[in-house]
Amino acid sequence: MNIKKTLKDFWYGKPHSAEEGGRRLGDIMEDKTGLYKHREWRGVPDTMYYFYNIWLYNYIHMVMDIMQMGGLVNFVKGVLRYRWVGQTYLPVMHWFDRGLQGMRGAALRGSAWHYRGMVSTTIRQFQRMFAADTRLHGGVQNDVYKHTIASNETVWGGMFYPWSDKFMYVPMEMIPYFVTCHVNSHTVLNYIDAVQSIGLPGDPCPMCQAEAGIFVLDDVPDYAPMVVTCNEACDASVSTSTLQDWFFDKPLYSLPMPMQFDDPLVKKYCMREIENCWKFIEDQTGVPFNWDQMVKKLEAQNELQRFEWEKWEVAANTNSYPINGVAQALYRIYQTQYGDWEIWHFCDKKVRKIMEKCVAKKINTFPQTRHRVIAWSCAPLYYSNWCTWAYNCWGLNVIINMDSLMFNMTMRTDTYEHALEDCAQYHMWAPMRRMAVGGMKHMFELWEYMEKFNCDMVAMYDQLQCKGVQGLHGLFEDEFRDRNVHAFWIPHALPDSRTVSRAEIRRLINDYMSTVMHEEPLDPSLLDFDDSMTW
Amino acid sequence: MSKFAKFLFKLCGIVLVLNVALFAVFFFDLDGKLLFNVVEPFLKNHYDNMERRDTLQTPYDMDKFPKYDYNT
Amino acid sequence: MRDLKHLIYFENLLQEANNDLVKQAKAEGKRAIGYTCYFMPEVLLDLPGCFSVRLRAPRCTSPDIATYYMSGRVCHYARSLMERALEGGYNFLDAQMATETCTATCRFQEHLEQKHLDSVKDMRIIDNDDFFCSFSDVPFKNNEIAYEHFTDQLRVHVLKELHDHFGIDTSEAAIREAVEQHNEVCRLINEIGDYRKLDNPTITGYEFHVIQLVSLVCPKQLILPYLRETAEEMKTREPDMKKEFRCKVVLAGSENDDPDFTKLIESCGARVVCDRHCYGAVESRVPIELKEGEDPVYTIAKHYLVTSNCPRFMPQDEMRARKQRIADLAKQYHADGVIVVSNKFCEYWSYERVIDTVILRRDFGLPVCSIEKEYINSASGQLRTRFQAFVESVEIKQIQEGK
Repeated sequence: MNIKKTLKDFWYGKPHSAEEGGRRLGDIMEDKTGLYKHREWRGVPDTMYYFYNIWLYNYIHMVMDIMQMGGLVNFVKGVLRYRWVGQTYLPVMHWFDRGLQGMRGAALRGSAWHYRGMVSTTIRQFQRMFAADTRLHGGVQNDVYKHTIASNETVWGGMFYPWSDKFMYVPMEMIPYFVTCHVNSHTVLNYIDAVQSIGLPGDPCPMCQAEAGIFVLDDVPDYAPMVVTCNEACDASVSTSTLQDWFFDKPLYSLPMPMQFDDPLVKKYCMREIENCWKFIEDQTGVPFNWDQMVKKLEAQNELQRFEWEKWEVAANTNSYPINGVAQALYRIYQTQYGDWEIWHFCDKKVRKIMEKCVAKKINTFPQTRHRVIAWSCAPLYYSNWCTWAYNCWGLNVIINMDSLMFNMTMRTDTYEHALEDCAQYHMWAPMRRMAVGGMKHMFELWEYMEKFNCDMVAMYDQLQCKGVQGLHGLFEDEFRDRNVHAFWIPHALPDSRTVSRAEIRRLINDYMSTVMHEEPLDPSLLDFDDSMTW
Repeated sequence: MSKFAKFLFKLCGIVLVLNVALFAVFFFDLDGKLLFNVVEPFLKNHYDNMERRDTLQTPYDMDKFPKYDYNT
Repeated sequence: MRDLKHLIYFENLLQEANNDLVKQAKAEGKRAIGYTCYFMPEVLLDLPGCFSVRLRAPRCTSPDIATYYMSGRVCHYARSLMERALEGGYNFLDAQMATETCTATCRFQEHLEQKHLDSVKDMRIIDNDDFFCSFSDVPFKNNEIAYEHFTDQLRVHVLKELHDHFGIDTSEAAIREAVEQHNEVCRLINEIGDYRKLDNPTITGYEFHVIQLVSLVCPKQLILPYLRETAEEMKTREPDMKKEFRCKVVLAGSENDDPDFTKLIESCGARVVCDRHCYGAVESRVPIELKEGEDPVYTIAKHYLVTSNCPRFMPQDEMRARKQRIADLAKQYHADGVIVVSNKFCEYWSYERVIDTVILRRDFGLPVCSIEKEYINSASGQLRTRFQAFVESVEIKQIQEGK
């Protein structure tokens, strides 16, 4: 026994690669369930950081958030009534574990703060739903209910900024469906099956199927007197609104965004539609549009965007970016779509401190990086942490992804017209629209961003039921060949883990890395393992 | 040893034991195992057996809501 | 019933997109303008000097190369169009007036454009030096600001393009002339279609489907004489002594330019008396009313938004009213039931079909047959069984109601 090495491994954790007598992360997981025989020993400082500052800190703060935002009674009532909260959100720390597996030092710390931001915002929303829900309060439409606005999750939160001092908006599907898939991929299957049980074929976008399915299973709280919906990002979203309208049966305003968002002519129309939507909210709430509140919130959102640009700068030009691929992707899409909220600023402040230290000290945050990867198109929701695995197993470091790049703008607040115009532009670049279902040329912006972020490889998501992306499949094949770009495809069906399993995704990447790239894995224990029952 | 010192000693002991216990829960993923093997199956069973409204019976009134048209 | 004089000629016109009448018009120096969706006003593509062709891909059963480019998981219609384009079947087109009204056809039309990609820079899908593709944005709503927006779009992306590229006269007088011609087509089609409302209709759904389709894919000026003659012929056409059908149905749903599908339904005993689908006449053959002093482009833009029943319309009142309209059509055409059809991978109609299936039956008491089909109907055996069972169920219902 080499005592010196044992002590070193105890203090610093085992080294990453097999060549250095590596840590074999695959060995600490139980077969099938993915539970840990024991959580990873990352060395004394990082294990203690994980224990105190991530695991314990987040458990304590989750309880505090629940107490502060709606109370324990509402939470328990909600857990007993709604599958998506009970089945999904209790094992949330395992979501952290999967996303942060193998991370060390600044990468562990920076990424974890992103998770904290998302958890807090999620609690805030479901607690608001429960506090307002007439079903949990004997059919009474209480004051919270009257001060809540429901919306489709593709309506940007900024639409409600002018009322944000008095009202809170909660998207109908973001918490009951979208976030659940990342945390516990089992829950959503109930909703997909439910909507197919009433006759919907299996081929429309499964994300939209699930969004409709939560209504079919009567699993959406009755938490607001009105709804604002939207056509983004695709045909199935439009149609989902039709089913939702039937089952929710409330005053509904449709806020359709023009499809041809590059055409300067469409902006005027879009601006007028947004103003109509604001009139609807005024009518329904009886509260006038508050310009000062709007400016305040837009400015706050601009601050978040400016920090994001700083992060991109570091990610693109240094090895000191302390955020892993999954944390970057999820935090960014959540923040940009939900809109401004205090917790984002709090977390950004923490991340800034970590990032500035990394840059100043030139810390290589992902030292085993072999390839800098850009992930393009829409990611598998049930395996958003594939990039953590890919780094641990192959040294594939996902630097940036398409979802992070969509809302690449700040909003002008000098005049009402400017603000409105920018809101229109922002909203037309909806999630999954600008570079996925939107115009063909935007999908091929990949090459610009690949260069900008100094990436040498593409992880090309292949959402099997996205008509917009599938409609361009062959051109990407041609382009990859023609440009001699190393690219691997990741087929998936967004939330539905039954179509392409996690193991199948790993197998495809393994095949590419060994047969095309002729590389050896950093951690061979991660090549093949059974996590078929994992959350 | 003064009473305060005793209390402090006791407190440290409790904190230490609590820390060790929590660390054991953390390190051996006992929270995950409890949730996976006990809590989730119980809740799933609960949700599966819940009585639910037949949503297909929801009325679909043609003229329940006005045309929300503002022409700004 | 006596055979219609021009039916075989019409059927032959539907065998190719570049049919005899298209060739004749091209030979006369006219520009062929393609489109796929109802929302692109065909009347504006029928201005003097050009003519509209609503794209079809008849007999395309195996779109192999298109499947490479678009994968096997998008609508068969869009892939078939792409395949036909790659085969050179649309090289006669001088322009494509495109709309992003559904994702799959949008992608097909984007493929027609010059792509500025390294890998395919030499790939000219439409081998015609004059060819260009222009996209218009179609609103999802039916209100005043949508009319104004769509008017602007048509002016810039259709009329200006046609004028700039081909010198087409887009003056008010020219538009009025095109509307007049369009309205005559509408009048004739409606006149012929109204015979489907008779107790014992003197035209089959198949025959009407063929006639409606030729009016969409042939130059109006050249097809009009045949339509006039057919309308005249219909006035004296006698029905069969014994009804050849067991019930009458409305056919509603997504894109359907396959008359053989209508024939299949009718062969099972259901007479298709109303066609409320993407290529049907319910919407597209409503005459356009131009008023003096009103901007004709605005009127046309408004007309196409007002008359459409497309499930992509999103206002709450509109989403709900669509179901009422199908029920109204069933009443108007004395139909006993409704067949709702969605093409595989058509997301709009997949959802709409689910709601129609429940609501039309529950709230309007209409028997509904809910079907998913391919663009070219290859699963006829299964469909035949479904239609036969539906016809029987309608008959049983009628017996139970003492009819």
